Amino acid sequence: MKIKLPSNMRAGTSTGAGTPDPAEPATTPLWEPPTTSVGEPVVPPPVAAPVAGEGEAAPAGTVIGQVLPMYFVGDESHSMAGDPIGAVNQGLIDLRDEVAKHPLIGKKVRFGIITFAETAQTRLELSELSEDLVLPTLSPRGRGTSYASALEALRQTIPADVALLKSNGYQVHRPSVFFLSDGLPTEKAEKWQARLAELKDPSFRERPNILAFGVGEADPEVIGRLASSPRYGFMMASGASTAGAIAEFAASMLNSMVASAERLDRGDHTIEFEKPEGFVQLDAPLV
Amino acid sequence: MTAAGRPAPVRRRVRLARGPVTIGEPAAAIEARLAAAEPYRPDTIADGGSAFGLTVRAASVRGLYKRYTGGPRQDDICLRLHADSGTLIAAVADGVSGAVRSDLGAALAVRYATAAVARFLDGGPSASMDWAAVFEQAAWALVEEHRRASGDGEAGVEAASSSLATTLLVAVVCGSDVEVAAVGDSPAFVLAGKEYDALVGEPEHFDGLVGGGVDALPRSAGDVRVASCSLDPGAVLLLCTDGLAMPLAGGGGDVGATLARELARPPDIVDFARLLDFSRSTYDDDRSLIAVWRSDES
Repeated sequence: MKIKLPSNMRAGTSTGAGTPDPAEPATTPLWEPPTTSVGEPVVPPPVAAPVAGEGEAAPAGTVIGQVLPMYFVGDESHSMAGDPIGAVNQGLIDLRDEVAKHPLIGKKVRFGIITFAETAQTRLELSELSEDLVLPTLSPRGRGTSYASALEALRQTIPADVALLKSNGYQVHRPSVFFLSDGLPTEKAEKWQARLAELKDPSFRERPNILAFGVGEADPEVIGRLASSPRYGFMMASGASTAGAIAEFAASMLNSMVASAERLDRGDHTIEFEKPEGFVQLDAPLV
Repeated sequence: MTAAGRPAPVRRRVRLARGPVTIGEPAAAIEARLAAAEPYRPDTIADGGSAFGLTVRAASVRGLYKRYTGGPRQDDICLRLHADSGTLIAAVADGVSGAVRSDLGAALAVRYATAAVARFLDGGPSASMDWAAVFEQAAWALVEEHRRASGDGEAGVEAASSSLATTLLVAVVCGSDVEVAAVGDSPAFVLAGKEYDALVGEPEHFDGLVGGGVDALPRSAGDVRVASCSLDPGAVLLLCTDGLAMPLAGGGGDVGATLARELARPPDIVDFARLLDFSRSTYDDDRSLIAVWRSDES
């Protein structure tokens, strides 16, 4: 009997579920011609193109992954001494450990740390949160609290970081900043406000989402101004402990990282975030 | 088969391929959690066949992230034939993850939209496709479902958008004539050789960054973009969701090269789904793909 095959049916693709015979072909892997798979072990397909690592430039136009840059910008002024700075350090360790053991999030997030007192310092270059990542230990330093220096550091590092990620073959999502302060800026308002305006300028292509958190003596009005959206400003509730609030902040930063990285593909430029315990959302109606 | 066309008298041993197809650095290997969605949402669906001189393959696979968390697949696909006009109708939808029942929204949108297209085709060759009406009908199905589920008979588009929002991409293919219409970022391409030509809906890039919000039904039902083209023999029409479009990245990289190589001819249906389910680090969204070839030239 002759059977006319449809034009799209290929010969030799039957997997014949009859009596096993070790000498005969296994199933036909997708990536091999049907006639060449006799007795071959099933192996992953060859990689179509060499993959660039973090440190080398990918061939132009080659995309190897997608990442979400996130920055923690933390107050390292003297008023943070003791339990508050300890809560920050522990929160960062927990964040690293939780993200590192997550099978999917770690590869999609890049995390950087900038601290400020009278000057700003990049304490962690934008990095993958792996379990062996060495985190800086924050400690109170210097006099003064310069928001301007922190905002300027962001304005300079973000475009450079995005450019490097892109040259390494990554699709880059809009960066996010978690800004934490326990006090007032010790500089003229015009100075930090000018730096803030530069960071939020719509013509600044890589302008980040900024979530701002005030603890201790921070000014709710100032914190509200820092946030890139009214719903991104949070102030510690009166009566809460600063260290306890910082611990809640750090837990929320982790949750935000996980939730935002989950929805990377969705293409939204907003950041996923829920108000931490012990904080008041600044745009919430007063009750 | 032997040269004479008879089955070769050999006994074959079954050995299943283990592990995913990988393209580049693989994603973490995890055992998927069953999704506890109601109604039933299978992890993977695969379909295909030939009709009207066309060969089609279609699959929708749950993303690794939802396999990890146990969430349902929020993409969906639908194929429908219109016999009188010899037309294939195909749709893909990508439920917006922020909407709580977007899996259902996607499932409804592809089914209602393809049914609406078929009703227009019932009007005969002179009836021109009213895409605005097709998308309005799909959007209205979402509003109706939201009203039914919520018990709020007055609920409108905004309320339905919060629960059932989804992108929608619909194509009609008749011979070599292709028309596609879309709301949202689920793109259509024509792949010829190694070249990917975007028709509609390629994910937009703002400020050199990826992402930037997404139009979705039912809210954006009026923002329909329409394109048409001719499907040449040897070319393949691709309808997909951004779970594939993102790693495809325009087709210039190794995902594009792999798809171009494997889709030069129609693969077997299950192989097609397996290909779509490729493992690639950082890409863990749901993926859907409908591919259409002309088979009438041979």
